Amino acid sequence: MPERVVTVVPEAGLHARPASAFVRTANEYDCDLRVGAAEDADGDLVDARSMLAVTSLGVGHGDRVRLAADGADADGALDALEELLSTPEGNDEDQ
Amino acid sequence: MSERTLSGVGATPLTATGEVVWYRPDFELPDRSADEVDARAERERFAVAQQLAREELENERARAEERIGADEAAVFDAHIQFLEDPQIEQPIVDAIENGLPAEHAVRDGYESAIAQFEGMDGRMADRADDLRDVRDRLLRLLTGTDRMDLSDLPDGSVVFAERLTPSDTAQLDPEAVAGFATVTGGRTSHAAIFARSLALPAVVGIGDELREIEDSEVVVDGEAGEVIADPDERTCRKATRTEQADVRSESVMTADGESIEVAANVGRPVEIEGATERGADGIGLYRTEFLFLDREEPPDEDEQFEAYREALAAFPDGRVVVRTLDIGGDKPIPYLDLPDEDNPFLGERGIRRSLGPDSALFETQLRALLRAASETAGDLAIMFPLVARVEEFEAGRERVEEIREDLRATGMAVDAPEIGSMIETPAAAFLAEDLATRADFLSIGTNDLTQYVMAADRGNERVGPLHDPRHPAVLRAIRHTVDATDGTWVGMCGEMAGDPALTELLVGLGLDELSMSAVTVPEVKARIADTDSTAARTLADRALRKSTKRGVTELLTEHETGVDQ
Repeated sequence: MPERVVTVVPEAGLHARPASAFVRTANEYDCDLRVGAAEDADGDLVDARSMLAVTSLGVGHGDRVRLAADGADADGALDALEELLSTPEGNDEDQ
Repeated sequence: MSERTLSGVGATPLTATGEVVWYRPDFELPDRSADEVDARAERERFAVAQQLAREELENERARAEERIGADEAAVFDAHIQFLEDPQIEQPIVDAIENGLPAEHAVRDGYESAIAQFEGMDGRMADRADDLRDVRDRLLRLLTGTDRMDLSDLPDGSVVFAERLTPSDTAQLDPEAVAGFATVTGGRTSHAAIFARSLALPAVVGIGDELREIEDSEVVVDGEAGEVIADPDERTCRKATRTEQADVRSESVMTADGESIEVAANVGRPVEIEGATERGADGIGLYRTEFLFLDREEPPDEDEQFEAYREALAAFPDGRVVVRTLDIGGDKPIPYLDLPDEDNPFLGERGIRRSLGPDSALFETQLRALLRAASETAGDLAIMFPLVARVEEFEAGRERVEEIREDLRATGMAVDAPEIGSMIETPAAAFLAEDLATRADFLSIGTNDLTQYVMAADRGNERVGPLHDPRHPAVLRAIRHTVDATDGTWVGMCGEMAGDPALTELLVGLGLDELSMSAVTVPEVKARIADTDSTAARTLADRALRKSTKRGVTELLTEHETGVDQ
């Protein structure tokens, strides 16, 4: 199962607009996508499609998160989420 | 049913009895037994409600984006995502399959999601509020309840709410509302200031317990800072018998003959009436923002002219001190392109905007003010908010002079208004002497001054104890300001000025004018009349030597009990 560790760049962390954009992007893919704190190697990853779950992680700016994908276009989904987390807020193309 | 007493912070020393109306309504959920519930039909109802909620949210999102900006609109994105969140949706669908009606399943499903965020701090707590909003939207759609309309409440309503924002209170009909109580907020929260400006009984910051009170008769006792649910007859009788100091319409002097002006803080026409009724000598703070809030475009010069003329005409023998537009910070205005700032209270607000992006609005406002003054007997004084530099005051003053010259060139007789600087920033307090030599008066805005001197956000309850003007640092900033002036009058227009327990201290600190919510004018006038200015100065000197707020409050309590004996 492909995995990645990414440092969260947006100032707000995984809250508010970045969290919204993250969840929206995750919902565009058909594969199973999960996210959690990177330091927590055995920690549970949560459903990246759930705003509730993603926000509850309490991920802040500069924290490292682990992304895992399983299923169709897993790498494409990871690319999209990684790009989102690596882009400072304001540069994201939010409509 | 027996009485239940909840404690909070009294916003006004007034009491009222009425029926509770929840601003965020609790929905009546129909009670149905399991065998009446058709799981398939309930799933369909849930799906329809979800779809309708989504459409509403998308519409509101578009409207917010157009009126306020993308950041506000993003809130609705989060709501849409919660609405369709698989981790919330699945338990709701499961509960429906297990025989629960859709509205009960929604309530329970959201309750457990809300519980995850509750008790967490800051942003997480905001998410709990988002979830409540989404839940209430679904419940409203499922139960066919109409949206709450704050402008159309039954007479004698006591409004309970989580919090009240400026746009909420702008809708409230003060004639119908007997009083209100809120879960959050302190003495300087918007809700508390609103209550004082309209002389409404109110208790704020009661906490979660308030949510447990519904469909009840309640007494709101602002004096004690209590809400009493299901009051017994004795409590009700007591509540209708609140004592008020007599209204004195004449100006007051201390017992030894020192004149102190007692003025009112007002924002809207209805408050001007309250100010004259309660015997204010004039207006010490006219907050002009209310003219600009809750509308699609700014009021034009003529509309402002009418409003200012009305205020000046109400005090033909008095002075009306108008604060020029003070926006930014916690007072967003949809049609202005206000920047998204990390620290709006330290950002572009007050005179900074008036001399910058809002210079055209500033000019229109000054023209309307000067025109109004030329047609009325009342004396106009203009003051600028959030001054931090001498140059800002001078630039503001120059604008007034330029516009006055323009008007005179058209043949209008315009007297020079008094022009003053607000002392709200530590910078202005340090520069009081330099400002005083250039200004006709200074006015200390203690809410902001306390916030900035103590570095404590006035809306943040976690630092609530820091937000108290009795801290020695704040008292010394006030004393420094008063001492720096020589012949220039100094007023005070924050909430501190209207606290009768501090009147003697303020007289002793040497303030020439105190401006407060109209509701406390009679009591403060009575206090001044009982005050001996020499004793007051001794009290102030002793207070200024204290190193701690506790030292100050103990001194004041001691003094008060000594006087009473």
